[in-house]
Amino acid sequence: MLDVEGLRKTYGAVTAVEDVSFAAADGRITGLLGANGAGKTTTLGMIAGVTRPDAGAVRLDGTPLPQAERRRRIGALHDHKGLYARLTARENIRYFGALHGLAGPDLERRLQRVLALLDLGAVAGRPVAGFSQGERMKVALARALVHDPGTLLLDEPTNGLDVPAVRAFRALLMDLRAQGACIVFSSHVLEDVSALCDTVVVIARGRVVASGEPRDLCQRAGCVSLDEAFMRLTSAAEESRCVPRA
Amino acid sequence: MRSTCLIVARKEIVDHARDRRSLTSALAYALMGPAVVMLVSFSPKARGDSLPAVMIGMMSVFALVSAFTGGMNVATDVMSGERERRSLLPLLMTPVRRLDVVVGKWLAASAFALAAVGASLAGLAVVLVLRVPGTLIAHAGAFAAWAILGLAPLALLAAALEIMVAGFSRTMKEAGTSLTLVVFIPMFVGMFLVFFPVAGGWWTAVPIVGQQIALETGLRGSPGSWPQLAALASLTVLSAAAPLLAAERLLSRDDVAG
Repeated sequence: MLDVEGLRKTYGAVTAVEDVSFAAADGRITGLLGANGAGKTTTLGMIAGVTRPDAGAVRLDGTPLPQAERRRRIGALHDHKGLYARLTARENIRYFGALHGLAGPDLERRLQRVLALLDLGAVAGRPVAGFSQGERMKVALARALVHDPGTLLLDEPTNGLDVPAVRAFRALLMDLRAQGACIVFSSHVLEDVSALCDTVVVIARGRVVASGEPRDLCQRAGCVSLDEAFMRLTSAAEESRCVPRA
Repeated sequence: MRSTCLIVARKEIVDHARDRRSLTSALAYALMGPAVVMLVSFSPKARGDSLPAVMIGMMSVFALVSAFTGGMNVATDVMSGERERRSLLPLLMTPVRRLDVVVGKWLAASAFALAAVGASLAGLAVVLVLRVPGTLIAHAGAFAAWAILGLAPLALLAAALEIMVAGFSRTMKEAGTSLTLVVFIPMFVGMFLVFFPVAGGWWTAVPIVGQQIALETGLRGSPGSWPQLAALASLTVLSAAAPLLAAERLLSRDDVAG
């Protein structure tokens, strides 16, 4: 269970995140939906413990934790996969397992588990340099899962993936949800959000402008589709913040 | 902390040992000095009694440079390369302390720098044996002491400076430009001492300058004392702490991995 309350982050004169609060339950996929630059990535960075918020709090299972402890209990995947091309898939995953404090037979057991879960066994011994985008995404996800985190943060994970890879990725996320993981999923791809998310948090200009189940958001905006609802909700938020000209 | 540093260092060494282009480049830099000294030894102007002096003067500069070039490619890749490829963010999202990351990467760059120094010294020893055999035999002790207590600590300091400079560079291209200036430091010191020789005093304890003086005086038959060399070695290694701490502070910044 993840609780985010009043997160705020500024870089100099630029306010990246103004006020973001939401809750993400275990066994559900929570989508952060927003346009490019809305503040999704900065929000995920603060939740993951890699960016210090100016204000606000992040609680895991009701407990506020220091940044390093939060990083221990969260798995994260970014659109830039950041794999080491000269290392094999197995070496990439093993390295991150070791950085999370795993070692010996325990590390090897978890390594085998994620390789099997993501169907990477056949390519595990090959250098990542020759991998397709879909295979790279799987390795990056395996790396994020090797320490068995209860909370998974995914930032624009389907960027650059072809249709079969996106479908495989969605199936994997549904499996993880069924296993009880708390998944927070950031995207501006409405198809992904519609297909996957149980709860959607709409962010515009660093603020949460609406949240709820996709069907509720559509009803609230008076639309039939999520993309229309998204446009109306974010436009309404933009208009309400504009200063009328004399 | 220790085991985490070693995990990072081991990964970087394994990773970069597979980078053949980078290894070839580093080896070429390391052996460039012996090759040039060998060529110069055949010059008509460097014959007779002046030959050992000319060769030793050149060797000292090239050996110092090898301490800086050996770990340069690795330092560039593990710091600015990680930033450019956006692989730094996943790394910083692990519970590992920033200082452990920096020290691990520094150990890896140092290992390559030490290997380059070893290759350069082996090449220079071969050149000395072939061209002025008496010099090396007469001063083998000074040569070994300088190699271990002079160049090894200098390789560690050079790797630390390179880790810091590469860390402050957003791209590998930017790091390459900045690190060229870092490699220029031993060249500058070598040239400076050719024209403005300093015999001793506090200069012998200054990293890079001290190493240059120790080699030249050692191979000319008047090596510095062991305590003097040990003090130089200690000061050189301690000097590596400042750039490493600067790199650690950089990795603690919010905007570094984005």
